[in-house]
Amino acid sequence: MSAPTLKLSDINLNDPELFEREGAHEVLRMLRREAPVHWNPGGEVANGFWSITKYEDIRFVSRNPELFISSKGIAGPGIRPEAMQNLGVGAEQQNAGANISIIGMDPPRHVKMRRLVNKGFTPRAVNAMEPEIRRITNEILDKIDGRDELDFVLEVASQLPLAVICGMMGLEQKDWALMFDLTNKVLGSGDPEYQTDVPEEERGTSAAARATAMRGVGTMMEYFRNVLEDRRKNPREDDLPTILLEAEIDGEKLSEGDLLAFCFLLILAGNETTRNGISGGLRVLCEHPDQKARLLKDMSLMDSAVEEILRWVSPLHHMARTATADAEIRGQQIKAGDRVLMWYPSANRDEDIFEDPYTFDITRTPNEHLAFGIGEHFCLGAGFARRELKVMFEELFRRFPNIELAGKPERLRSNFINGTKHLPVRLNTGR
Amino acid sequence: MKVQVNADMCEGHAKCEKAAPEVFKVGDDDVSVVLVDDVAPELMEKVERAIRMCPRQAISWAKS
Ligand code: HEM
Ligand code: SF4
Repeated sequence: MSAPTLKLSDINLNDPELFEREGAHEVLRMLRREAPVHWNPGGEVANGFWSITKYEDIRFVSRNPELFISSKGIAGPGIRPEAMQNLGVGAEQQNAGANISIIGMDPPRHVKMRRLVNKGFTPRAVNAMEPEIRRITNEILDKIDGRDELDFVLEVASQLPLAVICGMMGLEQKDWALMFDLTNKVLGSGDPEYQTDVPEEERGTSAAARATAMRGVGTMMEYFRNVLEDRRKNPREDDLPTILLEAEIDGEKLSEGDLLAFCFLLILAGNETTRNGISGGLRVLCEHPDQKARLLKDMSLMDSAVEEILRWVSPLHHMARTATADAEIRGQQIKAGDRVLMWYPSANRDEDIFEDPYTFDITRTPNEHLAFGIGEHFCLGAGFARRELKVMFEELFRRFPNIELAGKPERLRSNFINGTKHLPVRLNTGR
Repeated sequence: MKVQVNADMCEGHAKCEKAAPEVFKVGDDDVSVVLVDDVAPELMEKVERAIRMCPRQAISWAKS
């Protein structure tokens, strides 16, 4: 089937199905060439927004966190003020949803809050955790040993990040499956597969998405209220909820809202992105057998292979900001109050930065991709994410070097998370 | 010229040390310190690279 020619006026990056069917790269490539700072009109409910598609412009926006703030929403275009009334409280909550955790917080409070936990995420902390990451990885791989075909996302890719972050939060293993479920509901709320609380005939609508996200957030709230209650009575050494409970900013303890938001963020951010880095990584390696063979022959290439996977996959499609004053980007006038969306997959294929950006090359150097953002909000968990990918692929290929794709990946319907819901693989152990 | 590291922002990623080991060293507390009072002209380019590569954008030239 040959695609109809793409027209600038038809472009809508607020269409999650475009990303589900993997059509976004073509659109982003056109924008970089013809309209690198592009106004994407809104809809009945959604705001219009600026699409930022060039690497240097995304750096510029990220590095000016006072001009481009996060507290008005970090995902998607947001809801139009006029539409807010009709949608009721739920809509406001959605717009404000991220406001109180660090990812939706602005300077100067942001860095104070981030510093409460950031020592737990430094290279030193990651190194200390590596043996545990390797142990968990092998436990996961033990479970699939002897099998032929399986869903790599459900049985492997999702399990490692889940175990690592739940471990850091001190959550009991019996609750990990619930965290997996809730992460899917909150971050994958637009995908009918996760809209299980909505009657079947209503699934796939934006109302169903809002209801699903709210239901997920509500359940998570209740869950973490109990966790915090427990840690107040039984503080633990080194678990993140206890650290947060004991922390102070300018002599003040965190509010219950701050604490809950921080816990949510850690679970959500730590889970889904890394999962998609692992499943996307396996997929791209299998689709480039020469690169996979090269890696298997020389595992010392793993570090740069992981960077290339992150560049190639870009597990997050975008982060959003809102301008606080009039600004100019690449000659385009941005008005105070305008929403801007930074498209990471586009930055990471920018022809001005990367040589042969559409070539997957596990030895690519330099490779200063922006998959983790940069500056004030640079991914807190980048060190853990990188190490989880590295250890997973080291152990996976050591034990199952002949692993291959066994069917089509099922993609998440989202323009925020570059998600793979299911990835059938065959282990080919020859047993 | 003088270069500075914002200790509130720095999280020890050590990209700076890699780019300009003559100028930056990450300490035991995971915070990078500047080793020299004044950056020699021949090191300016390396420092520029460190400034650009720091994931936290914690490094800047000091306005003196
Ligand atoms: C491959 C996996 C991952 C990717 C691609 C990724 C990507 C990102 C990006 C792009 C941001 C920047 C947001 C912005 O500029 O507004 C971010 C922030 C964040 N990430 Fe990650 N992330 C990953 C894994 C993780 C993990 C494993 C954790 C926790 C254990 C984590 C925790 C966070 C937190 C807490 C923030 C907010 C930081 C702040 O606002 O100061 N991430 N992530
Ligand atoms: S690169 Fe930046 S964050 Fe990393 S150690 Fe150097 S100054 Fe600190």
